[in-house]
Amino acid sequence: MDCCLSPHEQMLQDKIDGKANKYRETHARVFKILDTIEGIKPVIDIERAKYFTESMRETEGEALILRWAKALKHVADNITVYIDDDQLLAGRAGCQGRYGVLYPELDGDFLDMAVEELPTRTESPFSISEADARVVVEEIAPYWKGRTYHEALAKVLPEDTHRLTYDDPEGLMSRFIVNETSSFRSALQWVHDYEKVLKRGFGGLRREAQEKLDGLDPLSPTANTEKKPFLQAIILVCDAIIGWANRHADLAERMAAEESDPVRKAELALIAANCRRVPEHPARTFHEAVQSQWFTQMFSRMEQKTGTIISNGRMDQYFYPYYKRDVEAGILDDDKAIELIELMYVGMAQYIDLYISPTGGAFNEGYAHWEAVTIGGQTPDGLDATNELTYLFLRSKREFPHHYPDLAARIHARSPERFMYEVAETIKEGSGFPKLINDEEVIPLHLSKGAKFEEIFDYSISGCAEIRMPNRDTYTSGCAYINFAAALEMTLYNGKMLKYGDEQLSIETGDPTTFETWDQFWSAFTQHQINFIKHAFIQQYHIIRLRHQHFAAPMGSAVHDLCMKHMLDLHTPHIPEGIDLGYFECIGYGTVVDSLSAIKKLVFEEKKLSLAEIIEACRCNFEGKEDVRAMLQNVPCYGNNDPYADSIARAIDQVSLSFTNEYSKELGVNLDLRYVPFTSHVPFGKVVSACPNGRYAWGPLSDGSSASHGADKNGPTAVMLSNYTTKNFNYRERAARLVNIKFTPKCVEGEEGTEKLVDFLRTFCDLRLWHIQFNVVNADTLRAAQQDPDKYRNLIVRIAGYSAYFCDLSKDLQDDLIARHAHDSI
Amino acid sequence: MSLSDQKQTGIVFNIQHYSVHDGPGIRTVVFLTGCPLRCRWCSNPESQRSGPQLAYNRDKCLSFEHCIRCMEVCSAGAIQKGADNKATIDFEICTNCLLCADICPPTAIRVYGEEKSVKAVIDSVEGDSIFYSRSGGGLTLSGGEPLHQPAFAIALLREARRRRIHTAMETCGHCKTEDLLEAGAYLNHVLYDIKTMDAEVHRAGTGVSNEHLLSNFLALRDAWPKLPIRVRTPIVPGVNDSVEAIRAILEYIKEVPNLTYEMLPYHRMGSPKYGYLGSCFPMGDVKLDEAVMPALEKLLDADYAHLRPRSTRKN
Repeated sequence: MDCCLSPHEQMLQDKIDGKANKYRETHARVFKILDTIEGIKPVIDIERAKYFTESMRETEGEALILRWAKALKHVADNITVYIDDDQLLAGRAGCQGRYGVLYPELDGDFLDMAVEELPTRTESPFSISEADARVVVEEIAPYWKGRTYHEALAKVLPEDTHRLTYDDPEGLMSRFIVNETSSFRSALQWVHDYEKVLKRGFGGLRREAQEKLDGLDPLSPTANTEKKPFLQAIILVCDAIIGWANRHADLAERMAAEESDPVRKAELALIAANCRRVPEHPARTFHEAVQSQWFTQMFSRMEQKTGTIISNGRMDQYFYPYYKRDVEAGILDDDKAIELIELMYVGMAQYIDLYISPTGGAFNEGYAHWEAVTIGGQTPDGLDATNELTYLFLRSKREFPHHYPDLAARIHARSPERFMYEVAETIKEGSGFPKLINDEEVIPLHLSKGAKFEEIFDYSISGCAEIRMPNRDTYTSGCAYINFAAALEMTLYNGKMLKYGDEQLSIETGDPTTFETWDQFWSAFTQHQINFIKHAFIQQYHIIRLRHQHFAAPMGSAVHDLCMKHMLDLHTPHIPEGIDLGYFECIGYGTVVDSLSAIKKLVFEEKKLSLAEIIEACRCNFEGKEDVRAMLQNVPCYGNNDPYADSIARAIDQVSLSFTNEYSKELGVNLDLRYVPFTSHVPFGKVVSACPNGRYAWGPLSDGSSASHGADKNGPTAVMLSNYTTKNFNYRERAARLVNIKFTPKCVEGEEGTEKLVDFLRTFCDLRLWHIQFNVVNADTLRAAQQDPDKYRNLIVRIAGYSAYFCDLSKDLQDDLIARHAHDSI
Repeated sequence: MSLSDQKQTGIVFNIQHYSVHDGPGIRTVVFLTGCPLRCRWCSNPESQRSGPQLAYNRDKCLSFEHCIRCMEVCSAGAIQKGADNKATIDFEICTNCLLCADICPPTAIRVYGEEKSVKAVIDSVEGDSIFYSRSGGGLTLSGGEPLHQPAFAIALLREARRRRIHTAMETCGHCKTEDLLEAGAYLNHVLYDIKTMDAEVHRAGTGVSNEHLLSNFLALRDAWPKLPIRVRTPIVPGVNDSVEAIRAILEYIKEVPNLTYEMLPYHRMGSPKYGYLGSCFPMGDVKLDEAVMPALEKLLDADYAHLRPRSTRKN
């Protein structure tokens, strides 16, 4: 039957049953550490914020990048250092257990209010000690009041843009209509050139900066006012991270001296030696390389809040030479290599990406962070890049399927069969990893945006679905998330929304009940859509001009070729030779397409309903209008490879693309169209009333470029094809589209199932879709479908020669399927 | 010839995309109505009659409180308010005009079976062709019994082959021999049901004897010796859920070349559809004993392992 628990679910079930995880023994050290942190409420560590603020207080008036470097040096010299029991890697950005770090440069002005609420807020709560809270309220927050970026942004936005952006004059609450994301993070998701650190060390980068400093024209005014402080900052930040590592070495030596267990004593001595060596000097062993990378990414987290975290880059590539050398030398085997990688993973799991602002919290529910590890893909010279380490990362994800980090596999037309097969097997484990990114879409697209072959062949996945070329990308500003469902609602209510009452939020496009043709309605909708994008671009104009006055990234700049070459901070609005990859986000794509499809078909073609009837039904959230809602749901929907709905979807996509094609050059950046929601389709849905696709008021919108909940009734091939046919491949202004596919275990069962999944993935590649990730349906999903059939209308039970929608089965039969799910696995 | 094929029409009750259990690769299954058999365990009862027919899923009805559209359009008076305030359909009076299905907002009343042209069907099938080219999949005709509409089924296969689409067909074998052999010319793969070797048991379970379908099986094999055939047996409680019954089938086919074998465990998932059609599931609540499938799999592995399908990829 639609069978069996996925191995991931089996693992969870075993845990409930008190059975030992079968991989516990082979991954003993990692599981032991995990036991100490799981289920514990995270704690706020204030040290980074405290020392950062102390220094910033003392340096006003100096160049921002130098102030930032001094502040980081002060943090690195004073922050408590830790070496955790059982760990073989050193380095934390905060206290032991799960912790979050404060970035008062972002939200210092309301940090005092926030720390009072954080422990009790429902989504992602944090604890903070009373003494620490007092430090926040009395020392940290007061300094930042009036100095933060988002205060400056809220002041500078024109009134009509402000109205669509914020719900209050101060800009603390988002409207979730044209939402800016630049003020809850200092930078977009990012990937550093870790390989450079492994090969040259911060000592090497420091020497480069020193040489440049020594070679500056002493008479040049710009050399003295811009380049000199930049290079001084680079030197200082290199000193900071090297000093921080050495403080760990000191601690490890002290602990080794006191340790009575000879095994642990030797481990501590090794940690001490590694921390003396890296990241100052080039790494020599695999262990040193991992330690060096780990220090770099942890320090990067102290430098700034990179939303939605700093990603790990192509680990299977830059670690490979060290792995290979150590294995050949006989000092490393696969189990040991996996252990070191997983020790890094548990470190990542303990750092929680803390969002203070209500908007930031809403975007990232459930402590989400995406420090993607990239595997597979191609080498800089365009050949397949898969190696033995690639397979170890996949094996690790099967045996230790923790949420962190996110594993991302690059797929291309010549990816070897073994790689595809192991990717498919790992997906079948059921935890959803790895997600896939398609070289065949990403590479040509970025060539057209100005990348060189060797750079784009070497791209890394960054955050949720983005990509980075660590020495070519230079754009750091957070970008707008646009609520397209709100544009639809404003079409129905002439520029108003039920949530915001009588307030005229946007332009007036007329009373829609007077529209006589579909073209009139479509034109009104696109006016709202375009108006939203217009305001998003106005936002971005101000964002680009403001941000570099508030944020700097000396460490990020130190490892970036272009920043070092031009002696410019990474936050500089435009860096010569850089490629500025910005975007704007469409939220609620499927919701809008299906709603428009319903209006077009039922009102203007079949005339089964009037627009007034639809509006009336939406206004009362379909209460007593179940028949109208049912009719609205039975129209062609996006995600079914149905040309009727897909042509509307393609037209919406095209309207956005042609806008940015026309205007993004005025901003000097690539502001491309993206469909990647994080979890934001939930808060964005909370401001949108009932929609003409039958969606109830305030519920989630469709996510990414996926179909509306349950609307994709023709299975995964149709979802993929709809995605393909709705892309305007003739525009280069397109960016990531996120696609989620649900599989029932029966469809991927056994060897044959894996092979068919591989074929499916190959087709994903052929179709030049950007991203795909999978959920393997399990008994929990079926139970959820039983409770909330509306959301799971598309769940198909597939058996040879027969198929049906799960929700159409009787309770009795549903129970039978659920029971079988649990039973078959035993 | 192909032009007349495209205009040929027939009755289709479902087109299912992304099918992975009905032939090699990733496939699209086209279900045709009409079947000469009346298997008591049939999981697609809506396939048995030839023409479009009305079905009613009471659970989906919004109740007369919200909607009486169906009752209003029913000139035969077959739709009344039930005790639960939902529509009740008297299938005896119903004239099968199908107007109520057209108007029912939640599609509680719907029609199984729609007349479609070969072109429309194959256009839809061809839409998935990029998945076939990777997986070796294609079109699978199913039913019902596809050859219950022989001209339509053969036209579909011929048009699919003309468009370079891989073809498969599920058949019970109870059809005109010449139709089966003609279909064979356009088929890349066949899924052939053999339910039991016992003629009487077969008659009791399906309404017909198995003699004709067995002779058709051999005729197909002789006419198209290279055509891969997958013999499938639904394992049904009280009918063939014994080692002896299955061994008899395996003995019969074990020397036949170019053949694989698969067992499909009985399930009750089709039972709600009987209710929608105003009838009852003949098998009731009976379930397959949990020990049966492992025992039969063991039998297959022990003595007939050569019949086990290997990877179905690109074959």
